[in-house]
Amino acid sequence: MHRSFLSQNPSVLWFVATLAVFTVIVTLLSEVTGVDMISTSFVKTLGKTLCLCLVAIAMDVVWGYCGILSLGHFAFFGIGGYAIGMWLMYARTEGIVIESLSSQPIPPTPSEISDAIGNQIFGVVGSSEFPWIWAFADSLFLQLLMVIVVPGLLALVFGWLAFRSRVTGVYLSILTQAMTLALALYLFQNDSGLRGNNGLSGLQNVPGYEDVSQATISILFFIASAFALGAGYVFFAWIVSGKMGSVVKGIRDNEARVRFLGYHVESYKLFIFTVTAVVAGIAGALYYPQAGIINPGEVAPIASIYLAVWVAIGGRGRLYGAAIGAAFVSLLSSWFTGGGAPNINLGFYVIQWTDWWLVLLGLSFVAVTLFFPKGIGGLFDLLVRKQS
Amino acid sequence: MLRLISLALALWLTVPVTAAAQPLQAILQTHQDEVLQPGRRTVSVVMDDLVASGLPQALPFLEAWRDREIVQRGSDGLFFRAASIGGTLTLLDLDTGNAIEEFDADDLTEARPNGGVRRAIGDALVQFQLSDPDITKRQTAVEAIARSMDSSQLAPLAASIASEPDPVLKETKTRLAGMLGALFADTAAARIAAIEALSGDLSVDVRAVLNTVLATDPQVAVTASEDANVARILAIGEDITAIEAYDRLIAANLAPALISGSDIRAALVENIANGAVGGVPVASLNTDGARAVAYDALSAQGIVPPRVTDAEQAAAIAAHTFYLQYSEADAAITDAADKALTAIEAKVALNQGIDLGLDALSLASIYFLAAIGLAITFGVMGVINMAHGEFIMMGAYTGFVVQQFVPDYTLSIIIALPLAFSITFGAGVAMERLVIRHLYHRPLETLLATFGISIALQQLAKNIFGTQARPLTSPEWLDGALVFNDVVAISYIRIAIFVLALLFLCLILFVLKRTRLGLEVRAVTQNPGMAASMGINPDRINMLTFGLGSGIAGIAGVAIGLYAKVTSEMGADYIVQSFMTVVVGGVGNVWGTLAGASLIGFLQKGIEWLNPSNTLAAQTYMILFIILFIQFRPKGIVALKGRAAAD
Repeated sequence: MHRSFLSQNPSVLWFVATLAVFTVIVTLLSEVTGVDMISTSFVKTLGKTLCLCLVAIAMDVVWGYCGILSLGHFAFFGIGGYAIGMWLMYARTEGIVIESLSSQPIPPTPSEISDAIGNQIFGVVGSSEFPWIWAFADSLFLQLLMVIVVPGLLALVFGWLAFRSRVTGVYLSILTQAMTLALALYLFQNDSGLRGNNGLSGLQNVPGYEDVSQATISILFFIASAFALGAGYVFFAWIVSGKMGSVVKGIRDNEARVRFLGYHVESYKLFIFTVTAVVAGIAGALYYPQAGIINPGEVAPIASIYLAVWVAIGGRGRLYGAAIGAAFVSLLSSWFTGGGAPNINLGFYVIQWTDWWLVLLGLSFVAVTLFFPKGIGGLFDLLVRKQS
Repeated sequence: MLRLISLALALWLTVPVTAAAQPLQAILQTHQDEVLQPGRRTVSVVMDDLVASGLPQALPFLEAWRDREIVQRGSDGLFFRAASIGGTLTLLDLDTGNAIEEFDADDLTEARPNGGVRRAIGDALVQFQLSDPDITKRQTAVEAIARSMDSSQLAPLAASIASEPDPVLKETKTRLAGMLGALFADTAAARIAAIEALSGDLSVDVRAVLNTVLATDPQVAVTASEDANVARILAIGEDITAIEAYDRLIAANLAPALISGSDIRAALVENIANGAVGGVPVASLNTDGARAVAYDALSAQGIVPPRVTDAEQAAAIAAHTFYLQYSEADAAITDAADKALTAIEAKVALNQGIDLGLDALSLASIYFLAAIGLAITFGVMGVINMAHGEFIMMGAYTGFVVQQFVPDYTLSIIIALPLAFSITFGAGVAMERLVIRHLYHRPLETLLATFGISIALQQLAKNIFGTQARPLTSPEWLDGALVFNDVVAISYIRIAIFVLALLFLCLILFVLKRTRLGLEVRAVTQNPGMAASMGINPDRINMLTFGLGSGIAGIAGVAIGLYAKVTSEMGADYIVQSFMTVVVGGVGNVWGTLAGASLIGFLQKGIEWLNPSNTLAAQTYMILFIILFIQFRPKGIVALKGRAAAD
């Protein structure tokens, strides 16, 4: 079974091999080995990009294979980030607080420690009480569990409600967008218990590893992200091939027909929706320690739409297409908005790419939708056809 | 003070009767010292004589006196009014008003009434002004009384009501006298009558007056004393927490002060000896229990005061009664005020409900305007236009640009409305021809392609107009608000938007139900294939429908821009709400959109009313409600039935 799965999908081997080679090269060229050709900040950018590729693959499975245009998967991504961020922030603040209190003549009581941590974390929103959602923040294991459970549960409940009442197509997209908006608005409140507009910060410092340099931490996160992407890719490739994959693709192409064939369509959709949400959460949990900060703006509906844009530009219905699209557009985007692209002087007007990049992206997006529905991944088809 | 004022009033009342009996100067001469150096007591002596004289020139004299314009000539001791006429100091005779040209400036002594006296004179003057022939002076006097209510003002104000010629001012005076009566009338019966008369008045100042009567002080005693006018006995745990209660006991010296955690900590730190406190090693002091043991050991040695145990605290709280006591001693008065206030508050609540309804109605009309264009394109063509919000923005910026060229705001709005319609109509048609036409069979991709257009347009607007908000100024006749009473008010601009929404509702209904185009649109909505075989060109209809929907978005943009700021991101603020409106209302039906907009508008205002401090929370809950609502009515409030409902 396993052999047939890989022989059916040579692209999986190609992808994993390429990813492995890429990871090794980046590691060798990084600051850690002393070569220092790739700066730590660029390693972080690459690591973040790998996480974005992972969530893009999840998006591709739910949209490109199952036909559900979810405009909420970046919200799951953000939830994963918040879940891990809570532990990172709590544990780090706890370390600082205990150290500062240990110089006092009397050892601190547990309630004194927790009050001091609360003051540190929630001082910016004018509070010092720990909200109930921070109940597990002191346990890494439980927070890691939250990375999986919270997006999974949210997706399960939302998906069950939506699929059960047969909300499909654009209605479902709007509904997922509404869910994302509700979440973002909730997080923007100061009394949400997650520091409102300020978000969680200082996430790049891993508690217990204060002595380890950022260069090492960044390369560790990079490798972890690469591993997660590889594992996620194999996992999803396995899901979308075989009998299950056929049913899922059938749902995309004609839901009613699959239902008449006796399949319980809702269960399949719910499974795909929930699993991809969990993977999105994991990707987020790997992304935000590298980004260092998470705030509600990251969860806003626009982010989920960009996710769809990446997948569409990369090519829907093929996993490597989604990964390529996410990497290509997000790197290009940071190159353009970061001032990397040279400005074009038209004589009468200077095109500054920081201003015009979004216009270009929007229009190229229209062009891709109209003329290249297969996206960048479609180029591989041309290649393969030429060879045969 | 009261005497002074009644004298002043009497002075004014007697003026016409006994005019010019004795020159003013003569009276002043008999009180030279009092005029020159008046004290709060001596001033009344002068006033007595002034009243007795009944001279008309006494009033201007009082004003001049207050304003420190009275001078005495040293050579003969005569008083004059010193006024600056044409830049030079001139002396005016107090009786005749004639100017005296020649005088020695060094020979003059200024009368210098101190602050208290000047205030006394001023108060007396207010009473004069209450009956002044000049209406603006009377109004100023009434406003002065309303600003700082005082028991002394009641009698003269009441006296001036009967002779007040202006009906509006008379009404104001009567109200003010009622409020003063509620606060300061001599007898309890008079106050109760005044309070009862206030019942039913919604204004904020009446409520403030009643609340003043009902002002309470928190009290604590073993038992509430018999003669105290107790407002309410406070229940521990409901009205106040046990901690607050104990703090009050401490404040009233009825219980020993608490030893707080930080006090214990400080005491322990001070008494560390040989690595231990009270026999407890320092290292083990990391729990509250261990610290308590150590502290108790210290207090047993008499080093620190003993802790107040929880049981002692509870006993102390239980032994006392906590209550609110009215500052007003008479229970009959507070009862009457309480009753009146309850009645007023019930009426206020009703009016707030009406006000909230008006707010919700105006919000609903904004949502309707923003969503109706979307409903048309979505309903007729099944196409999601994510750039709809950007068409709203384009309309608003059109209005802004027009105002740059046409300075007259009324005219510019009249130009902007059709211009915004035609620009967005053109943009919509162009978008339909160039993009959407090719994607009719791929609705999800339409969503993404129009989203691409949306971000491009948004960034384009940012590049052209900058990121700061641009004002769209409404014409003057739309400024201000329609005020029904002190609670219910609605701004004219919101009324205008409501009217505009109503107008568009009628217009769209007319176009859809009574014109050839509408007939064709409805045919294409129901069955494009069949419509085409009946000789309708679906391409043309789709194009026109899309243009119409976009054009209405442009007009909505002008309307929204009038009350909100115009920014490049304003479209994004409305797009999700617009989709909600369409989806909740039911696709492809004008009435559905109306129902959806009303539901969302009223819901949002309702939730905001429940939690007024937090608009974000209101929006969150509203979206959650809508998500649940879609579960139960997936096709919206007004669902199409039969074949038309097929996807």
